[in-house]
Amino acid sequence: MKKLSKSPLYQQLVDAYNQRNSDGNAAQEREQAFTAFVEKGFPSNRDEDWKFTNIAPFLADDYSFELQEPAAAVLENTVQQARIPGLDSYTLVLVNGKINGTLSILPDASCFKLQQLSEVSDVNYFNTYKSEHVGAGNRMLALNTALFNEGYLLEVPASIVWDKPLHVIQLFAGEQNLFIQNRNVLVMGRFSGLEVIESVISLKDGRKLFVNNVTQVKVAEQASLIQYQIQHNQAEDRLIDFLEVVQEKNSRYDHFSFNLPGAELIRNNLEIVLNGSATETHLMGLYLVGDHQLTDNHTAIHHLFPNCDSNEIYKGVLLGKGKAVFNGKVFVERPAQKTNAFQQNNNLLLSDKAQVFAKPQLEIFADDVKCSHGCTVGQFDPESLFYLRSRGIGEDSARKLLVEAFMFDVTQRITNEPVKEYVQSLIYEKMENSFADTNTSVYG
Amino acid sequence: MLSIKNLHANIEGKEILKGINLEVNAGEVHAIMGPNGSGKSSLASVLAGRENYEVTEGEVWLDGKNLLDMKPEERAREGVFLAFQYPVEIPGVSNINFLKTALSEIRTHRNLPQLSAKEFLKMTREKQELVEFEAKLANRSLNQGFSGGEKKRNEVFQLAMLEPKLSILDETDSGLDIDALRIVSSGINKLRSPENAFVLITHYQRLLEYIVPDFVHVLYNGQIVKSGNKDLALELEEKGYDWLKEQFHGNAALNEQ
Ligand SMILES: Nc1ncnc2c1ncn2[C@@H]1O[C@H](COP(=O)(O)OP(=O)(O)O)[C@@H](O)[C@H]1O
Ligand SMILES: [Mg+2]
Repeated sequence: MKKLSKSPLYQQLVDAYNQRNSDGNAAQEREQAFTAFVEKGFPSNRDEDWKFTNIAPFLADDYSFELQEPAAAVLENTVQQARIPGLDSYTLVLVNGKINGTLSILPDASCFKLQQLSEVSDVNYFNTYKSEHVGAGNRMLALNTALFNEGYLLEVPASIVWDKPLHVIQLFAGEQNLFIQNRNVLVMGRFSGLEVIESVISLKDGRKLFVNNVTQVKVAEQASLIQYQIQHNQAEDRLIDFLEVVQEKNSRYDHFSFNLPGAELIRNNLEIVLNGSATETHLMGLYLVGDHQLTDNHTAIHHLFPNCDSNEIYKGVLLGKGKAVFNGKVFVERPAQKTNAFQQNNNLLLSDKAQVFAKPQLEIFADDVKCSHGCTVGQFDPESLFYLRSRGIGEDSARKLLVEAFMFDVTQRITNEPVKEYVQSLIYEKMENSFADTNTSVYG
Repeated sequence: MLSIKNLHANIEGKEILKGINLEVNAGEVHAIMGPNGSGKSSLASVLAGRENYEVTEGEVWLDGKNLLDMKPEERAREGVFLAFQYPVEIPGVSNINFLKTALSEIRTHRNLPQLSAKEFLKMTREKQELVEFEAKLANRSLNQGFSGGEKKRNEVFQLAMLEPKLSILDETDSGLDIDALRIVSSGINKLRSPENAFVLITHYQRLLEYIVPDFVHVLYNGQIVKSGNKDLALELEEKGYDWLKEQFHGNAALNEQ
């Protein structure tokens, strides 16, 4: 414990908790989570789930919890820049976790119920929306549970299907390095439908931003949700994201995770709980990891009921000294007969200094199931590269075509065309900037 | 157009080409024949710039430019085209996108204006007709799901699209049935002009019945051991290669004395 208390951030967090609950009336859930965090501190390489992702260097900086709302003009400009070209959508803008009514554009009031999470009492929150993963096992989640107080709670009523996607733009701003813990809740009513695109943007002029975010999603019976997570951040951003999705019977959930350069640290935890029969789940990931970046995706799918299909494809392209971690857990419990669970993880190393740690983990306790997983780590096929070049296609264009081909399994599933084009153009832009290093190191 | 002088090349430290000399002029068709393993594909690969071959000696000139100094894509832009013996499948790269990119980079290099989407489609259609290549290209990955014959025909179609000076066809005829062979040959004959030249690598005389060569060369053990006119192909068809091998080894034995 002594060692941990040396981290100023640890002490700051303990102080913040004690101050927040000086009346001694903290919700039991917060108290338990806080205890779990206090006992063991931040996750370290000794934890199985953090073996390859050492967050200690990122915690060593001085952080403040003081938020600062930027000027209206700055906000407006930033939101403008965050828009996805050609995307016709509603917009929900959050500034430091607070809903910004001026910049948000939302559909008719009958289509949703939106609340600021800080306006929901702890009693209400924990009785109604409590996470399935209370968080003792994941101390970053526990820390968030102990201390979160901002975020949004969006409910889509039964049978409402939005006519346009929703772009959620989260902006963070402060005068110093920031450590932020928000929690968002999205509840999809029965037979409802929505497509959400999420962007996180920091406005801090070179100062550091550490976001320990938790999102809880509930997809009720027959409802359908498509969620696009676009992580396209600055080097000083450190993102730890925990997303829990609970699906009820006959629901469908599609998740796309795009992890692009250049946040130094990205750690995504995705926990899917299939809490009913005949559900359909698609988890699609693309990670492009640039020089000096660490991108870690931990996913888990819990098959608890019969006749559920899950399909997971994560593809990674690594440049320079980039490092990626993929851990995909699939649990098929005894009652989950007739499960179809498919998982695939492919990695393309474009530099001999890049590293990948990939671990598929299937635990199957039912007997009548179809499950498969595959994991590859490779480089460009020299035959393919030569074929393209022999047709006059320059080396960079040829690599670009091959990266595009590599990612095709995922990109072809993006049904939203503007999002697809936006993500692809970001990928090419990032790659072009990095080819200068890789040209010499791989095919010199 | 093409001038190969005393070309020696290694792969993985083993000498495969052992002093090739060949002159190809515009308007000509040359056939290169020879038993398996004699170095025909290696010669084609060295000309196209495959990087695992190491040229140890000799020169290759294309219209006064040093081919060996160029990257594979530069050779293609200068007008060298290799129809592969084993075309690769590239899942996820669309045929159309691939052709568009290739044509655009080649046209940029040749100072030709870029084609509009409409012009590109028109050209694609025309060239497909010219070489009677009916396979549907849109929304399909490069060579994926193509039969062996379709892949070979796709090579000839690409040749038609990219309009090279010098085309090297590496066993484009093998794996084709007689109808496909006739179609491919007639496509190539239509593409022949006084400005371009063809090097046909083949095992079989039958291709040369459709595309009549000006010269026939026999490549054996990394060297051109015999050259002649189209009658040489007939002679090879009749007698096989054994007599050549004997003669070659006999000469080698004599030389060593
Ligand atoms: N990648 C390679 N590594 C080692 N040897 C090779 C390789 N490719 C070809 N060779 C050798 O080079 C020689 C010539 O092969 P090739 O050019 O394919 O002949 P051909 O096309 O006339 O049948 C053969 O002995 C073959 O084994
Ligand atoms: Mg060959």
